[in-house]
Amino acid sequence: MQKDQRLLDLAALLLKAAEPVSWREIQEQFPEDYAGTGEAAIRKFERDKADLLELGIPVRYVAGDEDLPAGYLIDKDEFYLPDLKLPPEDLALLYVAGSAALAQGTFPYARDLAHALNKLSFAASAPGASESAAQATRRLSGEGEAPPAPEIVRSLEELSKAIAHKKWVDLEYRKAGAREPTERRVNPYGLYQKAGAWYLAAWCHSKRKVLTFHLSRIVSLRVNSSQPRTPDFEPEKDFSLAELASREAWEFEILAPQRCRVRLDSPVSNEVLASFGPRAKVSEEEGGVVIEITVTNPAALLRHVLSLGDAAEILAPKALRDDARAMLAELSERLA
Amino acid sequence: VSPARRPPAERPQKPAPAPAARPPPAAPRADPRDRLRRILFLVPYAVRHPGTAVKELARRCGCTEKELLEDLDFLLNVGSPPFGPDDFLDVYVEGDRVHVALHQSFSRPPRFTESEAAALAAAAQALGGEGRARAVKALRDSVPRDRRASFDELSGRIYAGAPAAPDSVMGRLQRAIAERRAVRLAYHSASRDAETDRVVHPYTLAQRFGHWYLYGHDRQRERPLAFRVDRIRECAPLAERFEAPDEAELGRMRLFSEARGEPVRLRIAAGATAWALARPGIRLVKRGEDASAVVEVDAGEEWATRFALSLGGQAEVLSPPAARRHFAERVRKTLTRYGRS
Repeated sequence: MQKDQRLLDLAALLLKAAEPVSWREIQEQFPEDYAGTGEAAIRKFERDKADLLELGIPVRYVAGDEDLPAGYLIDKDEFYLPDLKLPPEDLALLYVAGSAALAQGTFPYARDLAHALNKLSFAASAPGASESAAQATRRLSGEGEAPPAPEIVRSLEELSKAIAHKKWVDLEYRKAGAREPTERRVNPYGLYQKAGAWYLAAWCHSKRKVLTFHLSRIVSLRVNSSQPRTPDFEPEKDFSLAELASREAWEFEILAPQRCRVRLDSPVSNEVLASFGPRAKVSEEEGGVVIEITVTNPAALLRHVLSLGDAAEILAPKALRDDARAMLAELSERLA
Repeated sequence: VSPARRPPAERPQKPAPAPAARPPPAAPRADPRDRLRRILFLVPYAVRHPGTAVKELARRCGCTEKELLEDLDFLLNVGSPPFGPDDFLDVYVEGDRVHVALHQSFSRPPRFTESEAAALAAAAQALGGEGRARAVKALRDSVPRDRRASFDELSGRIYAGAPAAPDSVMGRLQRAIAERRAVRLAYHSASRDAETDRVVHPYTLAQRFGHWYLYGHDRQRERPLAFRVDRIRECAPLAERFEAPDEAELGRMRLFSEARGEPVRLRIAAGATAWALARPGIRLVKRGEDASAVVEVDAGEEWATRFALSLGGQAEVLSPPAARRHFAERVRKTLTRYGRS
């Protein structure tokens, strides 16, 4: 019997049964699949159980008692998707968030996300959730008008799996500015997004520390395929993806820390304020605000402030202000 | 044992034509679990919506009609042991309509897997909003009990961006979208370099080139437009309600491109090419002999100017002429702030 058919039959058997189904009965129902008394049949059944759990179907073993025989069952309350019992605005949030993430075309666990949106239409009457998921899955499967999925979509999918199963990955990675890619083995810890681009945070076997990798610079990757259900590593206990991801470029450790001040003219949008990160100190000033932050990579702060145009200005330190002037003067000369 | 089953009556003789120009599948053969996941949605959906057209059902399942018909064929062979006559799923296609009758086993889809719930939670976390914590908890509760620890762990492994501040523009927009309520925006129009007052029916949010956009119908201009969220200074909900367009339309909107007209070209100096090309939406046009690069992007001149300046002197806008002038003007104005030395 084909594996997908066996899994579905097994789920149907256990769902319908009124009481736990013994291993002997299961063997009788699937004589070709779980034949014999040896370890091999049990291992095969255990693998199937694990596959079902990955599909969201938990198969439980119940040790028998006076009333019930020992055996396997699927607890119906544990199987069916419950109603999420969320107010409509929260459901709308989930729906808007999920659809927007899928529409980006690059989101880790995109396939899972599409399935989740499909299911959401059952968990609650979220308007259009399944429509949206259907469109997204079409994009994923390369159907319709959308262009074929780029390499990065594949990397995201492979890495998503490797992270979930804690398997090491061999990367062929081209560092910024480097001509030739280098190879390295990493323990993938997580994926984060910054300014529209995705990064992998991973513990590098040769550097023996957590590094970040820009996904579009990954030339190729290979996930360890041996013993897919056995984790290869445990992430370091004190690792925090959110902390790593929310670190601003000017907080990368390059130079000694120095205090910098930036002036922003009104109107200042919340998004621009937020772009200076949670550690920025903001004070109101006539016609605008002044931001004060500790910086270890001043070049990055300079670039960020310049991108805000003539409504922003570096006040201090003087050296950085001079850099800004020099850079703009050179550009201005070139453009004249 | 040959259980009695209704034959697949009037199954269309020819399966839906396979798309001829489809690129060869680069991925290895699909995991059998993919089919099962699809079926666990397809069956309850078809039960709930009897007589759905094959085409429509395929669209909802995100597969081709051919794949869907294969799935239905597959379902005909699925039963519940001990395989009595009544234990099979009863699937038939009448005309081009799908009917599924069955014992109650698959009337609802299974719970969220930890990766489904974690992916949705990560998307919700990034978008922010007040209901975020509630939504994430509800997702967690919808994962089988044995897998909740994995959900917790996996949620910590995806970070899709910092959430919006509680009372931010983003938070209010989400609420307005959910409540289908019009909003009054104080919006900085880049093309006129002035703040404008707009009344908008907010339809949806989308992320492009690393920025959030609101897509909605502008009442005065009488057409749907995209608004950069970071240029919205104020957002006030109004009492006025509206009807949202259908989901297919919303889906297209989320794929909008802000650009009108020709793409903007920029020259990037050698030191910044790798960084620039890593940004979404940036295409390489040609490389210079000095390892510099000319790149192209479908964006407005304002976006291009900011992007070029964010590369700190290592980039300039080349064309079209209006975009180059816009860039030069911004450089000049910014320089005057620092005073010429």
